[in-house]
Amino acid sequence: MTVSLDPGGFVRLWWAPGVKITGDLAREAVVAVEQICAGRRRPMLVDMVATGELTRAARVVFAQKSAASAIALLGKSAVDRVIANFALGVSPVPVPTRFFTSESVATAWLRDVGREPEA
Amino acid sequence: MSVVNQRREDPRLDRLLEFVVQLAAGDLAARLETSPRADSVDAVVMGLNMLAEELQVLYCGLEQHVAERTACLEQAQAQLRHQALSDALTGLANRTLLGDRMGQALARTERGARAPTLLALDLDGFKLINDSLGHAGGDTVLVEVARRLLAVARETDTVARLGGDEFAILVVDADPDDALAIADRALEGLRRPVQVGEQMTWAAASIGVCFGSRGQSADSLLRDADTAMYAAKRRGRNSIQIFGPAMHTVALARLQTAEELHYALMDDQLILHYQPFVDLATGGIVGVEALVRWLHPQRGLVSPIEFIPIAEETGLIIELGQWVALDAIRQLGQWQEKVPLPESFRMHVNVSPVQFRSDNLVPFIRHALQQHGVPASSLILEITETGLMTDEADIVQTLWDLRSEGVGLAIDDFGTGYSSISYLHRLPVGAVKIDQSLVAGIDTDPQEHRLVAAIVQLIDAVNLTSIAEGVETATQAAQLRALGCAYGQGHHFSGPVPADEMTELLHANLGRPGNQQPNRIKR
Repeated sequence: MTVSLDPGGFVRLWWAPGVKITGDLAREAVVAVEQICAGRRRPMLVDMVATGELTRAARVVFAQKSAASAIALLGKSAVDRVIANFALGVSPVPVPTRFFTSESVATAWLRDVGREPEA
Repeated sequence: MSVVNQRREDPRLDRLLEFVVQLAAGDLAARLETSPRADSVDAVVMGLNMLAEELQVLYCGLEQHVAERTACLEQAQAQLRHQALSDALTGLANRTLLGDRMGQALARTERGARAPTLLALDLDGFKLINDSLGHAGGDTVLVEVARRLLAVARETDTVARLGGDEFAILVVDADPDDALAIADRALEGLRRPVQVGEQMTWAAASIGVCFGSRGQSADSLLRDADTAMYAAKRRGRNSIQIFGPAMHTVALARLQTAEELHYALMDDQLILHYQPFVDLATGGIVGVEALVRWLHPQRGLVSPIEFIPIAEETGLIIELGQWVALDAIRQLGQWQEKVPLPESFRMHVNVSPVQFRSDNLVPFIRHALQQHGVPASSLILEITETGLMTDEADIVQTLWDLRSEGVGLAIDDFGTGYSSISYLHRLPVGAVKIDQSLVAGIDTDPQEHRLVAAIVQLIDAVNLTSIAEGVETATQAAQLRALGCAYGQGHHFSGPVPADEMTELLHANLGRPGNQQPNRIKR
């Protein structure tokens, strides 16, 4: 798992291919995202291409409010799509969240909906 | 590519099929690994894995919820069962549970076990506790009584509250001596005072004991224990009475009397007799006391001693008292119209404490006086000393209301209770009738003589009028006169007589010197 701040202003969360995302791992990710956001809410791109598994406990963690103002889930395969839709449908996320197979489309969407209005 | 061909070429489909069968069989813990291909088949596998996990969590939650709800329902059911079988205030068994336990104990008797004993307890004077300390105070006393009864009973016995101030203890597997020992301990335990807030009160009880027998029903066991308890109450309270078969006969006779009395009221079987009061100084009649008599169609004249207590117990006393007051006032109106009575002439009517407690006594008397054109000042209502001893606010207020109406009031049977003259002086009464038990020995017992002398002096000292009851001899009349007692009543002058005889006596009294003296009953 890697968390970084993209020059485009959004947070990028990258999951290693084949990883099983457990509740603990999900909590680690949330903490890392909060740290990088430093109290500011930012849109987030979650690169979940070839993710191995997303457990229910992890989905529960993601369903809670985090530093992300919008989440774009980026995947490629049919498996990614199924996992993403479970994340979206079974445990509704409290911010705008969508699944994309194209990074450019995903980042464009994040720019549109995810930016927190400047104070 | 057809599904058959695909299946032949892709072994994952067989594993997928087995996986679905496993899930369908209820094994929601089953999972299937996806392949690195991450294609549609893997997507289906992943979807099924995640759905299975979701279902597994939902099922667990549902099972936990059902288990919790079931526990709640079971708890509620146990609570309802407890409520249905126990007394909410004291936590003791209630009548239903007692009945059940009695039934079980009696059934065991049929199989050779020892018969149970039932103790029926009723608190003496609990109404007074409620009236003086309020219902919350009364509840405190009931809870304390329950605690003390539990303390004297054994683990195997059932202590129950049947309602109000009625309790019962079912004693099982005990011989009569053991059961009586429990009754003794209960009586002893209840003799100790009960603390209610800042005040102390006492909750003594009358206890009826019924030793059960083979073939007896629970109802009859309770009925007989109750009968014994009422006998204990009549015998003087704070005592234990063992049930005997004769009691049941007496109870039945009392029940029959109550029923017949009800009809007597509707059927004109009641009549009034009148006993005069005489001015001890002049010998002139200054008033009469109305005394109810029952002309029973089969039993002849029934003594009021027999039926008045029954009327009080059954509540018929209200109706009976109203009948007496109305008929006495009607007779007085008739005399006032037809006999030139002296202005000082008064009609005395006995009123039960039960009537004094009722709301309608004052309006009833007012209406009766108006109906028969009788001045309120001609009527004197008598209440017994023991009836007044309760010091109930309702009774005292009624006394003042009657006084406002102009009706006179007298204390009856003074000397049978423990009230003081100074207490009576604070009430709106005008006369005190000295009980015949005190008057009886005045001419033979110097001590009685001194006692009556002191009472007459005290009555006079607080400006009330003394009336001696039960004057039987000329010597008694002379001595009472010498002591300064104002009026006398008794067989020496005349016993109670029917209205027509009284009319003759009143006519004869007209010529008597001094009969125009004002009545000395103060008001």
